[in-house]
Amino acid sequence: MAGAKREFLRGARNAVPLFLGIVPFAVVVGVAAREAGLDAAQGTFFSLSMIAGTAQLAAVQLYGAGASAVIVLLTAMVVNLRYSMYSLSLHRVLEERSFIERLRAAFFLSDQSFVVTMTELETNPGNQSLPVFLFGSSLAVFVVWVAGIFLGFILGAVIPAGLSLDFVIPLAFMYLLIPHLGGRDRQVTVLTGIVASVVFVPRLPLQSGLLVAIFIGIGSGMVVGAFSRKTKSEEEWA
Amino acid sequence: MRFYLLFGSLAVALLIIKGLFLCFVPDRKLPPFLERYFRYITPAVLAALIAPSVFYAGNPAGLEVSPKRLTAGLVAFIVALVTRNILITIVTGMVLLWGLSCLSI
Repeated sequence: MAGAKREFLRGARNAVPLFLGIVPFAVVVGVAAREAGLDAAQGTFFSLSMIAGTAQLAAVQLYGAGASAVIVLLTAMVVNLRYSMYSLSLHRVLEERSFIERLRAAFFLSDQSFVVTMTELETNPGNQSLPVFLFGSSLAVFVVWVAGIFLGFILGAVIPAGLSLDFVIPLAFMYLLIPHLGGRDRQVTVLTGIVASVVFVPRLPLQSGLLVAIFIGIGSGMVVGAFSRKTKSEEEWA
Repeated sequence: MRFYLLFGSLAVALLIIKGLFLCFVPDRKLPPFLERYFRYITPAVLAALIAPSVFYAGNPAGLEVSPKRLTAGLVAFIVALVTRNILITIVTGMVLLWGLSCLSI
C-alpha cells in the first residue's frame, strides 16, 4: 500500500510543471463563467461537475450568449471527442480494474494527466501501479483547474468591464494554437476556421455559428490532408 | 433550473465521451476516418474561438467590427509565434488594446 501512495504522489508531482499552462486557462474560464452570468452556486457546480478545458469554456460562453441547449451540448461534445481517443489509449492501463475505478479515471481525466501518464508508460513500462499514478496526476490537475476557475470567478466580479478582460481569452488561445500549426492541412483548417467563424458567428441563429465554423475548419483540413496524401503519398500521420 | 439541467446533462455527456472505450465499449478500434478527424479538432476549435473575439467587440446580440482588437490581436499573435510565451503574449495584447483605447478617446 505504501507503494501505491508513492505512485499517487509521483503522478501528482509529474503534473506540476504543467500547472503553468493550466492556471491562466482556468482563470480565463472562471472570468467567462462570471461574464456568462453564473451565480456562486452555479459557478461551483460548473467547476466541480466536469473538467473539460476548451469545451467547458465554449459551453459557458454559448450559454451566456443565450444559445439553445442543443447547440451548447453539441458544440461541447464535438470539441471533446478527442477524449474518446485518450480513453482508447488508457484502456490497456486500466483493463483489470473495477468499473467504478475506470469511471473515476474517466471523470478526472484531462489532457495534462493523459500526457503525464503516457510519458510514464513509455519511460517505465513495467509500472504496475499506473492506475494510481494516473489518479494522482488527474486529481492534482483537477484541483488546480478548479482553484483557477474560482480565482477567475472572483476576479471577474472585481475587475471593471471597461478593462475588456475577455480579450485575455483569445490571447491565451493564440499561444495554445501554435503547436497545432504544423502541416499545410492544419494551416488550411485554421485559415478556413477563422474566415468561417468571422462570417457565421454573428449571422447564424441560436449561436450555431461556432459549431458550423468548427466543422468547416475540420472538413477543409481533412480534404486538403486527403488530397496531399494522395499526391505525395506521405505517411506522417500524427 | 435551466442552468442545472443543461450543465448536468453536459457533465454526463462528457463523462460518457471520456469513458467511452474505458468503461462502456472496451476492445474497440477507432475507424480511420475518426483518427484523421482528431488531427483537426483542436486547431479548428481554437481558430473559431479566437477569430470572432478578435474581430468583434460588444455583446453577442450586437457585434461590431473592432479595429483596436484586430490590431492588438494581430500583433499579439506575431509575438506569440516569436516568443512562444503565454504571459508575454497576454501582456502585449492587453497593453496594446488599452493603449489604443486611450488614444481613440
